[in-house]
Amino acid sequence: MDIKVETVNDIVLVAVAGELNMDNSNTLRETFKKLLKDLHYKILLDLERLSFMDSSGIATLIELFQDLGKVKGRMGLCCVNKRIVGVFEITKVHKIFNMFESREAALKSFSEK
Amino acid sequence: MRQAEGVPVTLRTIIDDNIPSRLELVSGFIAAAVKKLEALGLDAAAAFDLKLCLHEAVFNAVKHGNKQDSSLVVHVVVKMGSEGLFLEITDQGQGFDFSVIPDPTTEENIGKYHGRGIYLIKSMMDTVTFSNEGRTIKMFKRL
Repeated sequence: MDIKVETVNDIVLVAVAGELNMDNSNTLRETFKKLLKDLHYKILLDLERLSFMDSSGIATLIELFQDLGKVKGRMGLCCVNKRIVGVFEITKVHKIFNMFESREAALKSFSEK
Repeated sequence: MRQAEGVPVTLRTIIDDNIPSRLELVSGFIAAAVKKLEALGLDAAAAFDLKLCLHEAVFNAVKHGNKQDSSLVVHVVVKMGSEGLFLEITDQGQGFDFSVIPDPTTEENIGKYHGRGIYLIKSMMDTVTFSNEGRTIKMFKRL
């Protein structure tokens, strides 16, 4: 898994590539912990280049989503691979995540609120 | 799998391996297994489903079944038949009550971190059965 972090205004873009699974989900968790510690509360995960996610990956996203909720922050997902969207739909977690078709749409939504 | 009565089904063994119960070995094992499956000419959707289900089943067996006891192994068998793939994963642990698997999509469970693995397997495979007091999961994916 490869993680790239950049900031657009007050929004932090976290681009995740490769696979998110039990082996490496802690790396994403640590990235989030650091962002929260640095008081970044608007986080957009760009998953365009994420090709695979298992149930540990879903668990990690839920944990991060809830951690941000505790500090009244926001987490969004954009550009999610259709097979991963399928996994979200099976488990119905797409209902709790803020999901966007494109990075632009997500940034626009985050900027408005 | 359909077959004429009395005619044995011919299955070709693709994978028949034991993996020590160490979590750090699972992803590499699955990657190698998926390469063998992809060599069968599976489409991308089927390959994704099989990879995910292997991940879930083998991780469950290593973590929850054998409780990461590296002296125990997980046995993974994948066979190809004329209509699809048969997968069988067996651990050497205490087993579990497979009749009680909570639905992770309910309002009370949707925010929980765990409990989606078997649900995903049941959703993605055509047939899923447990035996051997929960130590063995058998799956069939029609291709």
